[in-house]
Amino acid sequence: MTDTTVDLPRRRVWRGQLLQILSSRVGGAGVLILVVFTLVALAAPLIAPYDPLLVHRMPDNSVAQLLPPSSRFWLGTTYYGRDVLSQLIYGSRVAMIVGIVSAFFITAIGTNVGLISGYFGGWVDTILMRITDVVFGIPFLPFAVVLVALLRPSLSNIILTISCLLWRTTARVIRAQVLSLRERPFIKAAKVAGAGSLRIMYVHILPNVLPMSSLYVALGIGWAVLAEASLSFLGFGDPNMLSWGEILYQAYLTGSFRSSWWVVVPPGICIALLVASAFMIGREAEIIVNPRLRNL
Amino acid sequence: MQTAITLLAVLTLMWGMFRLIPGDPTTVFLGSGELPPEALAALRHSWGLDAPLFQQYLDYLHNLLTGNLGMSFYYRRPVLDVLLPMLWNTVLLMSIAIVLATMIGVAVGAYLGWKRGQRIETIGSLLVLIPRSLPIFWIGIMLMIIFSYTLGWFPIGGLRTPAFIPETPIQGVPGYDLAQHMFLPVLTSVIYFVSDPLMIMRTSMLEVIEEDFIMFARARGLRERTVRTMARRNAIGPVLTYLAIMVSFAFGGQVLVEVLFSWPGMGSLMVNSVTQRDYPVAQAAFFLMAVITILLNLLIDVLYVFIDPRIHYD
Repeated sequence: MTDTTVDLPRRRVWRGQLLQILSSRVGGAGVLILVVFTLVALAAPLIAPYDPLLVHRMPDNSVAQLLPPSSRFWLGTTYYGRDVLSQLIYGSRVAMIVGIVSAFFITAIGTNVGLISGYFGGWVDTILMRITDVVFGIPFLPFAVVLVALLRPSLSNIILTISCLLWRTTARVIRAQVLSLRERPFIKAAKVAGAGSLRIMYVHILPNVLPMSSLYVALGIGWAVLAEASLSFLGFGDPNMLSWGEILYQAYLTGSFRSSWWVVVPPGICIALLVASAFMIGREAEIIVNPRLRNL
Repeated sequence: MQTAITLLAVLTLMWGMFRLIPGDPTTVFLGSGELPPEALAALRHSWGLDAPLFQQYLDYLHNLLTGNLGMSFYYRRPVLDVLLPMLWNTVLLMSIAIVLATMIGVAVGAYLGWKRGQRIETIGSLLVLIPRSLPIFWIGIMLMIIFSYTLGWFPIGGLRTPAFIPETPIQGVPGYDLAQHMFLPVLTSVIYFVSDPLMIMRTSMLEVIEEDFIMFARARGLRERTVRTMARRNAIGPVLTYLAIMVSFAFGGQVLVEVLFSWPGMGSLMVNSVTQRDYPVAQAAFFLMAVITILLNLLIDVLYVFIDPRIHYD
């Protein structure tokens, strides 16, 4: 699978992968959407027309409740008279933080477990893979609900829960790759030359599984954003943070989704776009890592 | 054996997790009411909360294995009595959704795989990506807006209409009311679940049609339809393996669908009891979901041997 990457200098492989993702139509679109969301999240205070928590009032001082989209409120207002567009823009911050941080942990834990398990084999492998089996036996969202509720809903606890469970797929896939890499001549050569286990694992094997790991960064962002939205929708979101799931939860709780499409459709589309962009990049990365898929 | 170890590990993990609750069950059960310290101590003793931790752990395992799941703080009834009716509601909804999603996924996936490289395949493969990226509860909300609030075809939630009186002959058919209530939750789940079996079936189909026996079947002059059936039957394996994974993540979708449509199942029960701090019920509901996931994984492993005789387990 990685025959071609083994002999090439590392930097060129990376640049090649990135270029390949960018140049494909699907992958390029995914990267574009992701970049736009990142920029929006970074520049939220600059581009949001209002403070997302500001309660707007009508001229007669009544709350500007559930106003349809207009030139003043591009996406209307919520049940509590807040600007939907500003909430969406601030919501992208939560989504990006949860997505990127969780994806980092998912990939880091999974890659390390797979690396250690595959390289050492024997009882280390048995123990780590049994643990992975156990983690696979836990239904994710029910577990997340219980843990987040017990620990108290907060952004860091949501990230912790996601990272605790979702490394499982990465670990299995990376282990399988390491198992085949371990038998390659260049690893044997490194061993003969006197390299220690740590050096072989992190200097010689890791660069070869990193393309595969990067696939799970992309997928991880998608999983994490969906998980955060689901938890918020169930009422276990961070009460101090505005997220897209939270907007939907409020719309459901107040019943305003029945009459006002603008409190439901925009956050749903934002979630879908961000998740889809992550999956699109993932699909392209998968084709690069596993060229056999190209013909399929 | 391995399944038993996995189960034990999940149980232990869960026990540890519920120890994270600040305070102990008495504070939840009694609220902040003032109880004489002696009475509190007696209560703690009768619940075994003054025993050493390890003893508590053994008691917990013993109780679970003998089916004694404790008392619900909220309903003041044995947990099992609260849970069992909910379990059936969940199984009903989930099994129908999974079976339908798998059947549709296999049929459409096989079709797309067969039409490889044609425009319909490209469009179809892109379309499936849409429900995959949507949160399931959002799909449900949209269906609810369209079918319940705008068109008024289906009820907005619940299990049945209270005091339902059939007005037309067709409404008198047994199960009509239940089916009406089930339609939207099932549809939501099917839309959400269908993409994975579909994509897997398509990929698997693409591999199978390259094989020699398909070329041979064609060379024999068999009809296109017959060849397609042959290919489909040989491509179905990976979808079945995937079923085990699907069941595990189906519980996540199930929780959201049940809460959204106020379906009285284990998922909504679990979320409610977590919110109401009714930990024995939450714990039992979570435990049941994990057990079902693990046992179904085992079942599918065993079934696989029957479906594909080339596979053997020692």
